[in-house]
Amino acid sequence: MATTTATVSISSSDLMPGSNLSINASSTLMKTGLTTGLTLMEMGNHSIATGTEFNLSSALGEVNGAHYVYICNTTTNDDYYIEWGLHDTMIGNLNSGQWMFIPWNNAVATDSEIEVEAKNGTCTFEYAIFKSAWTLATAAS
Amino acid sequence: MATINANINISSDILSYPIRINKSMTMKKLTSCNGIDETTGLRAKRFTSTDDAVIVEHDELTDDKAHMVYIRNTSASKVNFFYVSYNASTADATTTEPIGKLYGGDWMLFPYNGNTNISVASSSATDTQVLEYMVFADGVLAAKG
Repeated sequence: MATTTATVSISSSDLMPGSNLSINASSTLMKTGLTTGLTLMEMGNHSIATGTEFNLSSALGEVNGAHYVYICNTTTNDDYYIEWGLHDTMIGNLNSGQWMFIPWNNAVATDSEIEVEAKNGTCTFEYAIFKSAWTLATAAS
Repeated sequence: MATINANINISSDILSYPIRINKSMTMKKLTSCNGIDETTGLRAKRFTSTDDAVIVEHDELTDDKAHMVYIRNTSASKVNFFYVSYNASTADATTTEPIGKLYGGDWMLFPYNGNTNISVASSSATDTQVLEYMVFADGVLAAKG
Protein backbone atom coordinates (compact mmCIF):
# COMPACT_ATOMS: atom_id res chain seq x y z
CA MET A 1 0.00 0.00 0.00
CA ALA A 2 1.34 3.37 -0.94
CA THR A 3 1.57 6.13 1.61
CA THR A 4 0.98 9.75 0.68
CA THR A 5 1.39 12.39 3.35
CA ALA A 6 0.57 16.09 3.10
CA THR A 7 1.87 18.50 5.71
CA VAL A 8 1.31 22.24 6.05
CA SER A 9 2.78 24.89 8.30
CA ILE A 10 1.50 28.47 8.40
CA SER A 11 3.25 31.09 10.49
CA SER A 12 3.23 34.82 11.08
CA SER A 13 4.68 36.95 13.83
CA ASP A 14 2.94 40.17 12.85
CA LEU A 15 -0.52 39.32 11.43
CA MET A 16 -2.08 39.54 14.88
CA PRO A 17 -0.03 41.88 17.11
CA GLY A 18 1.01 40.25 20.33
CA SER A 19 0.16 36.77 19.14
CA ASN A 20 2.40 34.56 17.06
CA LEU A 21 0.49 32.46 14.57
CA SER A 22 1.71 28.90 14.14
CA ILE A 23 -0.49 26.32 12.44
CA ASN A 24 0.81 22.83 11.71
CA ALA A 25 -1.16 19.97 10.26
CA SER A 26 -0.37 16.66 8.65
CA SER A 27 -2.58 14.08 7.01
CA THR A 28 -2.12 10.72 5.38
CA LEU A 29 -4.32 10.68 2.30
CA MET A 30 -6.60 7.68 1.99
CA LYS A 31 -8.94 6.23 -0.58
CA THR A 32 -12.58 7.14 -0.28
CA GLY A 33 -13.81 6.32 3.21
CA LEU A 34 -11.12 3.71 3.77
CA THR A 35 -7.87 3.17 5.59
CA THR A 36 -6.15 2.22 2.35
CA GLY A 37 -3.69 4.68 0.87
CA LEU A 38 -4.10 6.29 -2.52
CA THR A 39 -2.47 4.41 -5.38
CA LEU A 40 -2.93 6.65 -8.42
CA MET A 41 -1.56 10.04 -9.33
CA GLU A 42 -0.63 12.34 -12.16
CA MET A 43 1.58 15.39 -12.15
CA GLY A 44 2.88 17.88 -14.62
CA ASN A 45 3.97 21.34 -15.62
CA HIS A 46 2.06 23.61 -18.00
CA SER A 47 2.19 27.05 -19.54
CA ILE A 48 -1.16 28.63 -20.38
CA ALA A 49 -1.95 31.76 -22.32
CA THR A 50 -4.27 34.35 -20.88
CA GLY A 51 -7.91 34.48 -21.82
CA THR A 52 -8.78 30.78 -22.11
CA GLU A 53 -10.09 28.35 -19.52
CA PHE A 54 -8.27 25.02 -19.52
CA ASN A 55 -9.31 21.74 -17.96
CA LEU A 56 -6.68 20.43 -15.61
CA SER A 57 -8.39 17.11 -15.16
CA SER A 58 -10.63 14.81 -17.08
CA ALA A 59 -13.70 13.54 -15.27
CA LEU A 60 -13.21 9.84 -15.80
CA GLY A 61 -12.49 9.06 -12.20
CA GLU A 62 -14.49 7.95 -9.23
CA VAL A 63 -17.47 10.24 -8.80
CA ASN A 64 -17.83 11.80 -5.35
CA GLY A 65 -14.52 10.26 -4.36
CA ALA A 66 -11.49 11.28 -2.32
CA HIS A 67 -9.03 12.93 -4.67
CA TYR A 68 -6.52 15.65 -3.79
CA VAL A 69 -5.17 18.46 -5.93
CA TYR A 70 -1.99 20.52 -5.59
CA ILE A 71 -1.32 23.50 -7.87
CA CYS A 72 1.55 25.97 -7.70
CA ASN A 73 1.67 29.08 -9.87
CA THR A 74 5.38 29.25 -10.67
CA THR A 75 5.07 32.52 -12.58
CA THR A 76 7.36 35.23 -11.22
CA ASN A 77 5.55 38.34 -12.47
CA ASP A 78 3.38 39.70 -9.63
CA ASP A 79 0.82 41.03 -12.12
CA TYR A 80 0.05 37.55 -13.48
CA TYR A 81 -2.23 35.17 -11.64
CA ILE A 82 -4.27 32.04 -12.23
CA GLU A 83 -8.00 31.97 -11.69
CA TRP A 84 -9.10 28.48 -10.66
CA GLY A 85 -12.48 26.89 -10.35
CA LEU A 86 -14.68 23.87 -10.87
CA HIS A 87 -16.61 23.52 -14.12
CA ASP A 88 -17.98 27.00 -14.87
CA THR A 89 -17.65 28.35 -11.33
CA MET A 90 -14.45 30.26 -10.63
CA ILE A 91 -13.49 30.12 -6.96
CA GLY A 92 -10.21 31.90 -6.41
CA ASN A 93 -7.15 33.71 -7.69
CA LEU A 94 -3.76 32.06 -7.28
CA ASN A 95 -1.04 34.69 -7.24
CA SER A 96 2.40 34.19 -8.70
CA GLY A 97 4.57 32.05 -6.46
CA GLN A 98 1.58 30.73 -4.51
CA TRP A 99 0.32 27.17 -4.07
CA MET A 100 -2.97 25.55 -3.14
CA PHE A 101 -4.03 22.13 -1.88
CA ILE A 102 -7.61 20.87 -1.80
CA PRO A 103 -9.62 17.69 -1.56
CA TRP A 104 -11.62 17.22 -4.75
CA ASN A 105 -14.61 14.89 -4.92
CA ASN A 106 -15.24 15.01 -8.69
CA ALA A 107 -18.85 15.50 -7.70
CA VAL A 108 -20.56 15.01 -11.01
CA ALA A 109 -18.95 13.18 -13.90
CA THR A 110 -18.14 15.52 -16.81
CA ASP A 111 -19.38 18.44 -14.75
CA SER A 112 -16.75 18.88 -12.04
CA GLU A 113 -13.49 19.33 -13.86
CA ILE A 114 -10.83 21.56 -12.38
CA GLU A 115 -10.34 24.65 -14.51
CA VAL A 116 -7.52 27.17 -14.65
CA GLU A 117 -7.21 30.42 -16.56
CA ALA A 118 -4.21 32.73 -16.73
CA LYS A 119 -4.90 36.40 -16.08
CA ASN A 120 -2.91 39.41 -17.30
CA GLY A 121 -0.27 37.22 -19.00
CA THR A 122 0.96 33.73 -19.71
CA CYS A 123 1.33 31.70 -16.54
CA THR A 124 3.27 28.54 -15.79
CA PHE A 125 2.18 26.14 -13.10
CA GLU A 126 2.95 22.78 -11.60
CA TYR A 127 0.27 20.41 -10.43
CA ALA A 128 -0.29 17.00 -8.92
CA ILE A 129 -3.55 15.10 -8.57
CA PHE A 130 -3.70 12.17 -6.17
CA LYS A 131 -6.59 9.88 -7.00
CA SER A 132 -8.74 7.38 -5.24
CA ALA A 133 -9.75 5.59 -8.44
CA TRP A 134 -9.48 6.57 -12.06
CA THR A 135 -9.68 5.26 -15.61
CA LEU A 136 -7.88 6.37 -18.73
CA ALA A 137 -9.84 7.69 -21.68
CA THR A 138 -10.36 5.12 -24.39
CA ALA A 139 -8.15 5.70 -27.39
CA ALA A 140 -9.73 6.41 -30.75
CA SER A 141 -9.45 3.43 -33.07
CA MET B 1 2.32 44.93 5.99
CA ALA B 2 2.29 41.54 7.63
CA THR B 3 4.25 38.50 6.57
CA ILE B 4 2.41 35.18 6.46
CA ASN B 5 4.46 32.19 5.38
CA ALA B 6 3.01 28.84 4.40
CA ASN B 7 4.92 25.69 3.56
CA ILE B 8 3.65 22.44 2.08
CA ASN B 9 5.35 19.07 2.07
CA ILE B 10 3.88 16.17 0.14
CA SER B 11 5.64 12.84 0.10
CA SER B 12 4.44 9.73 -1.65
CA ASP B 13 5.61 6.32 -2.79
CA ILE B 14 2.77 5.82 -5.27
CA LEU B 15 5.25 5.75 -8.13
CA SER B 16 8.33 3.58 -8.37
CA TYR B 17 10.45 6.57 -7.38
CA PRO B 18 9.80 8.87 -4.42
CA ILE B 19 7.62 11.93 -4.90
CA ARG B 20 8.64 14.95 -2.85
CA ILE B 21 6.89 18.29 -3.16
CA ASN B 22 8.15 21.06 -0.93
CA LYS B 23 7.02 24.63 -1.54
CA SER B 24 7.01 27.76 0.53
CA MET B 25 5.04 30.90 -0.13
CA THR B 26 4.36 34.28 1.36
CA MET B 27 0.69 35.14 1.05
CA LYS B 28 0.25 38.21 -1.13
CA LYS B 29 -2.53 40.54 -2.13
CA LEU B 30 -3.86 40.18 -5.67
CA THR B 31 -1.35 41.31 -8.32
CA SER B 32 0.85 42.80 -5.63
CA CYS B 33 4.14 42.14 -3.92
CA ASN B 34 2.59 43.31 -0.66
CA GLY B 35 1.65 40.69 1.87
CA ILE B 36 -1.84 39.91 3.12
CA ASP B 37 -2.28 41.69 6.42
CA GLU B 38 -5.83 40.99 7.58
CA THR B 39 -7.75 38.02 8.93
CA THR B 40 -11.18 37.19 10.26
CA GLY B 41 -9.45 35.09 12.91
CA LEU B 42 -8.82 31.45 13.69
CA ARG B 43 -12.08 29.73 14.53
CA ALA B 44 -13.24 26.29 15.64
CA LYS B 45 -16.72 24.84 15.30
CA ARG B 46 -18.20 21.57 16.59
CA PHE B 47 -20.76 19.84 14.37
CA THR B 48 -23.24 17.34 15.78
CA SER B 49 -25.61 17.17 12.85
CA THR B 50 -25.54 17.00 9.08
CA ASP B 51 -27.12 20.42 8.71
CA ASP B 52 -25.50 22.78 6.24
CA ALA B 53 -23.51 25.65 7.73
CA VAL B 54 -21.75 28.71 6.35
CA ILE B 55 -18.23 29.02 7.74
CA VAL B 56 -16.98 31.87 5.52
CA GLU B 57 -19.38 34.70 4.76
CA HIS B 58 -18.32 36.44 1.61
CA ASP B 59 -19.90 39.75 2.62
CA GLU B 60 -17.22 40.06 5.31
CA LEU B 61 -14.61 40.17 2.56
CA THR B 62 -13.82 42.29 -0.46
CA ASP B 63 -14.98 40.69 -3.71
CA ASP B 64 -12.66 39.50 -6.49
CA LYS B 65 -9.52 39.33 -4.40
CA ALA B 66 -6.92 36.74 -3.41
CA HIS B 67 -8.01 35.66 0.04
CA MET B 68 -6.61 32.37 1.30
CA VAL B 69 -8.77 29.93 3.27
CA TYR B 70 -7.37 27.27 5.59
CA ILE B 71 -9.71 24.51 6.82
CA ARG B 72 -8.89 21.39 8.81
CA ASN B 73 -11.10 18.56 9.99
CA THR B 74 -9.59 17.83 13.39
CA SER B 75 -11.49 14.57 13.82
CA ALA B 76 -9.51 11.35 13.93
CA SER B 77 -11.93 9.21 11.93
CA LYS B 78 -11.23 8.69 8.24
CA VAL B 79 -14.78 7.41 7.82
CA ASN B 80 -16.46 10.74 8.46
CA PHE B 81 -15.94 13.90 6.48
CA PHE B 82 -17.23 17.36 5.68
CA TYR B 83 -18.52 18.39 2.31
CA VAL B 84 -16.91 21.75 1.51
CA SER B 85 -18.66 23.85 -1.10
CA TYR B 86 -18.43 27.22 -2.76
CA ASN B 87 -22.10 27.94 -2.22
CA ALA B 88 -24.31 30.49 -0.49
CA SER B 89 -25.74 28.06 2.05
CA THR B 90 -25.57 24.43 0.97
CA ALA B 91 -22.88 21.75 0.92
CA ASP B 92 -23.44 18.27 -0.42
CA ALA B 93 -22.25 15.93 -3.13
CA THR B 94 -23.72 17.71 -6.09
CA THR B 95 -25.04 21.20 -5.30
CA THR B 96 -22.96 23.71 -7.22
CA GLU B 97 -20.18 24.02 -6.49
CA PRO B 98 -18.85 21.19 -4.31
CA ILE B 99 -15.08 21.36 -3.87
CA GLY B 100 -14.38 18.16 -2.02
CA LYS B 101 -14.76 15.91 0.98
CA LEU B 102 -12.52 16.80 3.91
CA TYR B 103 -11.95 13.60 5.89
CA GLY B 104 -10.80 13.38 9.48
CA GLY B 105 -7.30 14.80 9.83
CA ASP B 106 -7.33 16.32 6.34
CA TRP B 107 -6.64 19.99 5.67
CA MET B 108 -6.93 22.36 2.74
CA LEU B 109 -5.50 25.75 1.85
CA PHE B 110 -6.85 27.49 -1.21
CA PRO B 111 -7.24 30.91 -2.81
CA TYR B 112 -10.76 32.29 -2.59
CA ASN B 113 -12.21 35.26 -4.46
CA GLY B 114 -14.69 36.26 -1.75
CA ASN B 115 -17.68 36.31 -4.11
CA THR B 116 -19.76 33.49 -2.58
CA ASN B 117 -19.90 31.84 0.84
CA ILE B 118 -17.94 28.74 1.80
CA SER B 119 -20.43 26.23 3.20
CA VAL B 120 -19.90 22.86 4.85
CA ALA B 121 -21.93 19.88 6.01
CA SER B 122 -20.84 17.04 8.24
CA SER B 123 -21.36 13.50 6.99
CA SER B 124 -22.34 12.23 10.42
CA ALA B 125 -25.33 12.96 12.62
CA THR B 126 -23.98 10.77 15.42
CA ASP B 127 -20.23 11.44 15.59
CA THR B 128 -19.13 14.91 16.60
CA GLN B 129 -16.72 16.46 14.14
CA VAL B 130 -14.72 19.66 14.64
CA LEU B 131 -13.55 22.07 11.98
CA GLU B 132 -10.89 24.69 12.48
CA TYR B 133 -10.63 27.38 9.86
CA MET B 134 -9.11 30.74 9.12
CA VAL B 135 -9.35 33.28 6.35
CA PHE B 136 -6.25 35.23 5.41
CA ALA B 137 -7.99 38.22 3.93
CA ASP B 138 -7.07 40.42 1.01
CA GLY B 139 -9.55 42.97 2.34
CA VAL B 140 -11.97 42.70 5.27
CA LEU B 141 -15.13 44.78 5.11
CA ALA B 142 -16.08 46.65 8.25
CA ALA B 143 -18.95 45.10 10.15
CA LYS B 144 -22.29 46.52 9.15
CA GLY B 145 -23.91 48.68 11.81
